[in-house]
Amino acid sequence: MALIQARGLSKTFGSKAAVRGLSFDVVPGSVTGFLGPNGAGKSTTMRLMLGLDNGEGVTTYDGVPYRELKQPLRQVGSVLDAKPFHPTRKAVNHLRMLAASNSIPNSRVTDVVNLVGLGDVANAKPKTFSLGMGQRLGLATALLGDPGTLILDEPANGLDPQGVHWLRNMLKTLAGQGRSIFVSSHLLSEMALMADSLVVVGRGTLIASGKMSDFISTSNRNAVLIRVENAELMTRELRARKAAVVTEPDGKLAITGMDSDRVGGLAHELGVRVFELSNREATLEEAFLDATGASEEFRASMGFGNQGAAFGGPMMGQQGYGAQGGYGDQPGQQGGYGGQPGQQGGYGGQPGQQGGYGGQPGQQGGYGQPPPGYGAPPPPPHDTGTSQDGSRRDGDTA
Amino acid sequence: MTGALRYEWMRIRTIRSSYWMSALAIALTFGITLLMGLSISAADLDDEFDSVDQVTTYIVLAGASGPFIPVMAAPFYAVMGVMAVGHEYRYGTNKATLSAIPDRVAVLAAKCVVLVAWVLASIAITLLLGMAITWLLLDNPQFGSHLVRPLLNYTGYCVGFAVAGMGLAALLRNQTGAIVAALTWPLVVEPIIYGVSLAISETTGGGIGKLTNLLPSSAGRRSMFDPYEAIAGFGNGEVWSIGAAVIVFWLGVILVLAAGATSFVKRDA
Repeated sequence: MALIQARGLSKTFGSKAAVRGLSFDVVPGSVTGFLGPNGAGKSTTMRLMLGLDNGEGVTTYDGVPYRELKQPLRQVGSVLDAKPFHPTRKAVNHLRMLAASNSIPNSRVTDVVNLVGLGDVANAKPKTFSLGMGQRLGLATALLGDPGTLILDEPANGLDPQGVHWLRNMLKTLAGQGRSIFVSSHLLSEMALMADSLVVVGRGTLIASGKMSDFISTSNRNAVLIRVENAELMTRELRARKAAVVTEPDGKLAITGMDSDRVGGLAHELGVRVFELSNREATLEEAFLDATGASEEFRASMGFGNQGAAFGGPMMGQQGYGAQGGYGDQPGQQGGYGGQPGQQGGYGGQPGQQGGYGGQPGQQGGYGQPPPGYGAPPPPPHDTGTSQDGSRRDGDTA
Repeated sequence: MTGALRYEWMRIRTIRSSYWMSALAIALTFGITLLMGLSISAADLDDEFDSVDQVTTYIVLAGASGPFIPVMAAPFYAVMGVMAVGHEYRYGTNKATLSAIPDRVAVLAAKCVVLVAWVLASIAITLLLGMAITWLLLDNPQFGSHLVRPLLNYTGYCVGFAVAGMGLAALLRNQTGAIVAALTWPLVVEPIIYGVSLAISETTGGGIGKLTNLLPSSAGRRSMFDPYEAIAGFGNGEVWSIGAAVIVFWLGVILVLAAGATSFVKRDA
């Protein structure tokens, strides 16, 4: 049951830095999700952790680097590729071959084949396997040595819903036995159900590391929603108390920087009739997009042209999420995206890291250039709040 | 290292191409030996060979002790060598392999040891079959000490091809490219260099023909000629000794293997 400690992991390809000074811990007894946009350096990081790539930094498993482990499969199981096997070598032989290298008995091969549900096709050639079956064989490989640590790169890819459910339960069970599980995935909804902690990277740098609940709590999408009779008065008074207020399309006020008790109390003091008061909690996906919007390596271009905030959101280099939009216009907000991530300390980074999610008003670097086909970027946070076509932007503050 | 050997032994035994390649090498050589045994007559013995010793060697080695018939088995062993490493890259199993055995030197050494053992076993079968055919079809064959040097160098030539194939795959990290390189170098590139060098040498009278001694595959091929001096000097007259030929061949093999090993150990998986 190993404590994984990654320290100063760095890797460059030519002049391009794929991973820059990553440091984090993966503690036993937990599933730690590894998140980041495409090209963020997740797979490279995992290869560095396993000594497969040459780079800087060191990863230790209970203090021992991977390359110094005597029988590594008995201590660290890993899956880095979807189908890492010869297509005509029988599945059982693939496992026996790997087992032989670490003096693992053949009886264990039978066990793991049955464990991952491939017992009926153990003597089949993997060229006939679906992607999901290939993933299961990969997982069998990782579990071969009954290791205390698992490092899995996108293990849910290709699995059907039952397979994903099975994987989630298995990983949580394994973590419950005290093992360290480090797993990357693009399936954020699945990760939200599976992971206890997160390591979030963007463009090779650490954005966040810590408990998932802490990560989600830092999202801009967390807010107090209130629908009141006199919104203008309420907004003015809230801002006077340093709260950030955004008017939602349906007329509700989304308030950050003040909890619902205080908001309700203020409405009462002002004599404002309250029709609705609730807390809006961000999802992992929202928090993730919030945190990594600026650090996407590759952005899709769908040719929406000047659609403004209606198609906005960090994925597109626009101003907000869907019709909500509205970063950075107020003190205490995060001021948009496009700047370099991790410049402000902030959430969860390791001591000495630049990591950092969240941050102070007006310090987060403004808006990046949008991808081709999206027209000009939205105006900076201190503009007049009018979009290019002259209409008022969704998400502008009231 | 023992773990790596167990892994590699399991690897080579659980893949069809290992058996196919060996079987083809053995069958092709056996076929040529059989044809030779059937076709060489008493008249040939008088006309083309100096002694029964030479004929025996010639048939046992499927013509490899003469200059005109290439060592048919060698390309198959080269492809086996390529596959020993090339499969790792082609199917992405190198990460699984190196995760199981982080010591890359041990991985490559184990591949080399097991491959050589496998090829030696195949060659042993080939030579035993060749001797059996010769014994059956040739009147009074001579299986004396004169066979030792050509047989050893034949074996070394085949093993060298296998090892060089492995080195090429580790160097190029591309199975197809390594197979092409392993086959075109001895079958196309060296003959062209050889021919051009000799042509220039004969035209200009210079000593450029001596450079052909540095062609490793040709040197390895030459090392199994019987009788060496008579055949190796064919068309040249400036060939180095048999010992030098063996050294040049193995230097070439070691050079390729060393380059491949360096790449395998140093580069990212």
